[in-house]
Amino acid sequence: MHSRFIGVPVGETTVIHRLPALAKVTVSCVVILTSILLPIGWGVAFVGIAALLSLVVFVSRTSLWFLFRNIVIVEPFVIMVGLSTLFQPDGGMRFASIALKSTLSLVTILLLSSTTPFEELLEVLRMMRIPAAMISIIALMFRYIFVFIGESGRMRTARQSRSFTQRTARSWVVLASVLGQLFLRSTVRAERIYTAMCARGWRSQ
Amino acid sequence: MTAVECTDLHFRYPNGEEALRGVTMRIEEGESVGLIGPNGAGKSTILLHMNGILPERLSPTVSISIFGIPVDAPNLFRVRRLVGLLFPDPDDQLFCATVYEDVAFGPSQFGLPEAEVKALVEDSMKKVGLQGYEHRSPHHLSTGEKQRACLAGLVACQPKILALDEPTHGLDPRGKRQFKSLLQSIEATKIIATHDLELVVELCARSILLDEGVIVADGPTASLLSDEDLMNAHGLEKPHILKHLHPH
Amino acid sequence: MHIPDGFLDPKTIAATSAFSLVGVARALRDVTRRLAGWKIPLMGVTAAFVFVAQMLNFPVAGGTSGHFVGGVFVAVLLGPSAAVVVITVVLLVQCFLFADGGVFAIGANIFNMAIVSPIVGYSVYRIVSGILPKRYGNLVAIGVASWVSTVVAAICCTGELVWSGTVPWSIGFPAMAGIHMLIGFGEGLITMLVYAAIMRTRPDLVRPEDSGIIPGVVRPITNILIYGFLIIFGLALFVSPFASRWPDGLEKVAAMFGFASRALSERVVHSPIAEYKVPGIGSFSVATALAGVIGAITVFLLSFVLARFLTRSAAKNGSSSV
Repeated sequence: MHSRFIGVPVGETTVIHRLPALAKVTVSCVVILTSILLPIGWGVAFVGIAALLSLVVFVSRTSLWFLFRNIVIVEPFVIMVGLSTLFQPDGGMRFASIALKSTLSLVTILLLSSTTPFEELLEVLRMMRIPAAMISIIALMFRYIFVFIGESGRMRTARQSRSFTQRTARSWVVLASVLGQLFLRSTVRAERIYTAMCARGWRSQ
Repeated sequence: MTAVECTDLHFRYPNGEEALRGVTMRIEEGESVGLIGPNGAGKSTILLHMNGILPERLSPTVSISIFGIPVDAPNLFRVRRLVGLLFPDPDDQLFCATVYEDVAFGPSQFGLPEAEVKALVEDSMKKVGLQGYEHRSPHHLSTGEKQRACLAGLVACQPKILALDEPTHGLDPRGKRQFKSLLQSIEATKIIATHDLELVVELCARSILLDEGVIVADGPTASLLSDEDLMNAHGLEKPHILKHLHPH
Repeated sequence: MHIPDGFLDPKTIAATSAFSLVGVARALRDVTRRLAGWKIPLMGVTAAFVFVAQMLNFPVAGGTSGHFVGGVFVAVLLGPSAAVVVITVVLLVQCFLFADGGVFAIGANIFNMAIVSPIVGYSVYRIVSGILPKRYGNLVAIGVASWVSTVVAAICCTGELVWSGTVPWSIGFPAMAGIHMLIGFGEGLITMLVYAAIMRTRPDLVRPEDSGIIPGVVRPITNILIYGFLIIFGLALFVSPFASRWPDGLEKVAAMFGFASRALSERVVHSPIAEYKVPGIGSFSVATALAGVIGAITVFLLSFVLARFLTRSAAKNGSSSV
């Protein structure tokens, strides 16, 4: 289902995928920053950014459906904020500006994350002199997300097999105990990971 | 040379449970020893003493030494290079984002230069048959592949002793066969704590039977494991593979 | 409550990023220095737990769902600095891998959800659990604290949006705070249930005196000072100019930074909605503040009842005292 690129099933790799991560991250940040800072009147610049992004989408063969799906999953909060903007004078312009900027930024990040493998992104963080402790924590988190998804799924199935009611209240209790168990298991696992790391020479400073 | 020397080793867990009550044993370099016994006998506990994971606070008076080096605080780093410990659950020890990083973890921690680390990783992965898996994430691997990746991570550290805790747990028969021949091909002193008695018969010339924190028997595998009364008395069974052999 | 890109203006981005940097750096230093040897794997694994927990939807009638954010939960079980680090990591991964929250808004999101939320929540937790009897005190406290943490984070978020000129305070505050008061009930309830589940299985981990997982977590005074300063300064900057009744406050802030034009502040202040008064109470803002007080009391009472119920049923089932 997934490959090294999280979220998007990637069959082939294109030029975009093979670009060095640092370049992609830098370009992405520049594009987003530009979108944010550009006054709304500079329509040409926005068209230019949109054109650039479209080119990348085309070359990287990113699925348009994937992009659409992720743009449309907007939190109610965003909608609400957007709508509140309309209450201001010249709110229509303001709303359009925000919608445009956030969409362009969103597409940029989606392209970045779907064409750059996770370990390369970590490497970029390392280059930015983020403390090693933080990087280890991020790496470990990523590694164990999938383990926990599996565990919580199994636990939930096991619990549901033993409960016969469909009541919402009961399913809350089931979910709560699954989460409780997951947390306890995760602390035990953390200790075992620590042991395994020490066994191979890791020294915690 | 004596690889592992253990003299009257005692250990009590923080909750008061006495796991080891005076274990004395000696394993020579190059031996292949099976550590068997029922659950809770103390097999894993002994292995964890071999590289100083236990006791949590190392005392100056040590009961265990590896190649003559006492397993105490100042020698911890040296000892951990000599002893490669394989844990029962591969998900606990494949903790990096990719297989390559994981196999490289040990050598990098031990301070080797990058070029050497790279060579060691490539070599180890070839040995366990996982070439091409470098950039795979551990959660995509099958149990057998995960076990092999863990073994690669150990082999990359070039240890002299391989201490394995339930190495064939969760493997299907083909996986077990593959892992067994893999182990046979690696040169090191081997200490295998396991319930898989067929593995012990095929790989270990000598066996140590542990129960309730003491060594009950220590001798050649074939005769020890053929002794049905002994096996049954300690919660084990004579393995099928020996049922067709006549005891010597 | 993840703010996407495009909603905040440069000065807000700069200010929130600065605050977050200081707060997270402090928390990281705290965690790596004082906690036990397995802190790094523990943080990583807990972050994965929080991430997965947030994926689980708790069905609520009407087709909507609530979900578990977990900041206070982590703060109570692993300590407040650990919560800051863990939630920050979760936010980073959500931002860069799932486009949940903007890249340049990450400073604001971290400030709201990884710093203000768990720390304010934890403080409330300590206060409430200190007052009530140990048997059910920390359960009640965790319910109330989770609610408060959600609402305070929402207020902070609103302040940032208003300071950026994106939303008028008179609309934003009632809407955001109001909605999150409701969401906060769900968060409080879920957190209490999960915490109770843990209490039942491993009561030794949830002793009120210290977080049993990392024994002896005592925050040195410098932590309290730094976190406290960040939060107070942040609230002062983002929230109080708008919460104050006088529009001059906003103008003074705008003039001080020289970013916002007079035109902008005039427009925001004179928006027709701002002048609408809720009959009998005053402006929407005051009504919201009142709702907040009522909400807090309600949460406290509900948590109290639930906690008594959970501990009594646990005692009946013969488990050891929690």
